[in-house]
Amino acid sequence: MTTDGKRVAVNLGGGYVAGLNAVITGVVLAANELGWETVGIRDGFDGLLFPERYPEGGLLHFKPRMVDDLAHSSGSILGTAARNDPFHVRNVNAENQVEELDRSDELLEKLRAEKIEAVISVVEGRALGILLKLARKGAKIVVVPKSVENDVAATMLSFGFNSALSYATETLDRARQAAQSARKIGVVEVLGEHAGWLALQSAMAVHADAALIPEIPYDLGKVAQKLKEKLKAGRDHGLVVVAEGAKPTSKSQEASIPQATDPIKASLSPGATGNHGAHVILRSGQAAEAVALELQRLTNHETYPLVLGQLVKGGAPTAVDRQLGLGYGASAVRAVNESMTGVMVSFQPPDLTFVPLDDAVNKIRTVPTGSVFVQVARSLGISLGD
Amino acid sequence: MMSTSIPTGRVLNIQHFCTHDGPGIRTTVFLKGCPLRCKWCSNPESIHPKPELAYNPNKCIGEKQCGFCLKTCPESAIFVVRSGDEADDKVRINWDLCTNCGKCVPVCPTEALYLFGKEMTVEEVLAEVEQDGTFYRESGGGITVSGGECLLQPDFTAALLAEAHRRGINTAIETAGNVPWPFMEKVLQHVDLMLHDHKLTDPERHKKWCGVTNERILANFKKAYETFPEKRFVARTPLIPGVNDDEGHIRSVLAFIRPHPNVIDYELLPYHRFGESKYGFLGRVYELEDFTSPSPETLYHLRAIIDEAFGRQATPDKA
Repeated sequence: MTTDGKRVAVNLGGGYVAGLNAVITGVVLAANELGWETVGIRDGFDGLLFPERYPEGGLLHFKPRMVDDLAHSSGSILGTAARNDPFHVRNVNAENQVEELDRSDELLEKLRAEKIEAVISVVEGRALGILLKLARKGAKIVVVPKSVENDVAATMLSFGFNSALSYATETLDRARQAAQSARKIGVVEVLGEHAGWLALQSAMAVHADAALIPEIPYDLGKVAQKLKEKLKAGRDHGLVVVAEGAKPTSKSQEASIPQATDPIKASLSPGATGNHGAHVILRSGQAAEAVALELQRLTNHETYPLVLGQLVKGGAPTAVDRQLGLGYGASAVRAVNESMTGVMVSFQPPDLTFVPLDDAVNKIRTVPTGSVFVQVARSLGISLGD
Repeated sequence: MMSTSIPTGRVLNIQHFCTHDGPGIRTTVFLKGCPLRCKWCSNPESIHPKPELAYNPNKCIGEKQCGFCLKTCPESAIFVVRSGDEADDKVRINWDLCTNCGKCVPVCPTEALYLFGKEMTVEEVLAEVEQDGTFYRESGGGITVSGGECLLQPDFTAALLAEAHRRGINTAIETAGNVPWPFMEKVLQHVDLMLHDHKLTDPERHKKWCGVTNERILANFKKAYETFPEKRFVARTPLIPGVNDDEGHIRSVLAFIRPHPNVIDYELLPYHRFGESKYGFLGRVYELEDFTSPSPETLYHLRAIIDEAFGRQATPDKA
């Protein structure tokens, strides 16, 4: 094997999803095939910006044998940073005051000093803007999309989604059994602020009674009607899946949600008052609670809310996510080899291809209301609340 | 623009008829910029010193009816998701691309987009404060300067409070004390009452939850008590469950303040979540989202310790 001394870096931003180690494995193996070295930057860009925090070094020097047994594991060997933003790095200055500094120039300098040819960043949709800005400044950036909500635009499937879907499905099965034994209606909230893929597909997998997704505003009166028919027919339990970003239709919202503005909140800052927003998610669990209470009122049958929340991000990757992660990692190396920068690897079955970051920034992959998923759900008798 | 000889302040907001920021009915002037990053902060819009954009989606009327901001933003930081039959065409902000230039603010007809923070002179601030003159003169109130950290703008705050004093207005400040001593000294000369925070006792815990250690804060407070014996001080603790709602912290604060007779009270401010929606409006993440307010029992127990230290009867109805 020849080596031309090229060095690529891989780093992770945002939360954990299943399959992170598979992507790293894909990068290391594909780079090794080209005779390149792979380094991992610990905790986003922190390994480069704060090397003093890492007694063993801020960079992890990968050897192929290190990743032999990695792809199927949960968690991540590299660590990740919740806010992976070199343009706003928190710092305590000489005056003992906290401030946020733009350290992007310094980061570029450190990448050069470490002879890092390109950075393969594994991130969710939210961080794409940061990487786009870095690419515009001259850093060579290739992005791999991860998302348990499958909401990154310009790719069919982000890795991590399939594992989350499997876990959500398994939990919904259990929630239904719990509902059966307690003779209640289970209302299970899953992640999905803008995109309802996880709620819709997991609800389909267990043929739940209803799936409420952000794309289709719901009228709980209609959901209750459906549930009441089933209750009347002798089935004394139910299962409703709700995405955390699902919202009522404006008409039903006026009817059911109190519109009063909290006077104390108003006094804190008049500019930022107003009623709780349709898509300002205050905290996870609210959607399940609101829907469960209202359905209990409307059906006259006990409900119980359950929140899966961040749990879907943990665990080991499914076979689909392992394959996808390895494929994404290997393809990112191919992009570097073809001198691409400012691109995202995109899965457009059957191909793994590349799209400019501009195509994915400021977009969210949502469920088209005319899509086959929606049609199938309706055919299965799943109420979408409309 | 104002002449450079007149100090101007970065003002976040002027809030009328406040009853929790000192005696009587008061007008509170919130300044922008804070040297701490307390994870429970209920005024995230006050943290950064520069003006910054906030967006309240509830007020947005959508791209179809309006959409001016989409055309105005020079950074392409505003976008629309477009999904569903009942299309959600409210705009979204890409906070990573936004530079807080504020160009979208004047074109937004519903004030869904707005900028937090503007430069104001002492005269401009006092003109607004004096509108409430009758109320605070009747109630023994006055002006309170808060933040953010009002002592980060010592020239402006000192000038504002000096002029308020000259006009016969009672003055108070709210501070967390993490500033160089000369800043505090300069302002305190014009202050009748200083409300000041003892967030955590242990320096490392203070660093964990507020971003920096607290040695200088405590040194400043001690120096303030001793340098200005004629001023009145009220210590406060924002009570955060699992962080500082323990007897140990309350007793350490009492040990710190009780030797100084000019520290006339110690108040507990139970943590609340009123600030959390504002994190969404600013595109930030609220790290304490899963915490709840302290229980009435905890509050009662801790307040009883304070009342005892101050030689008072317990005040159970104070919550």
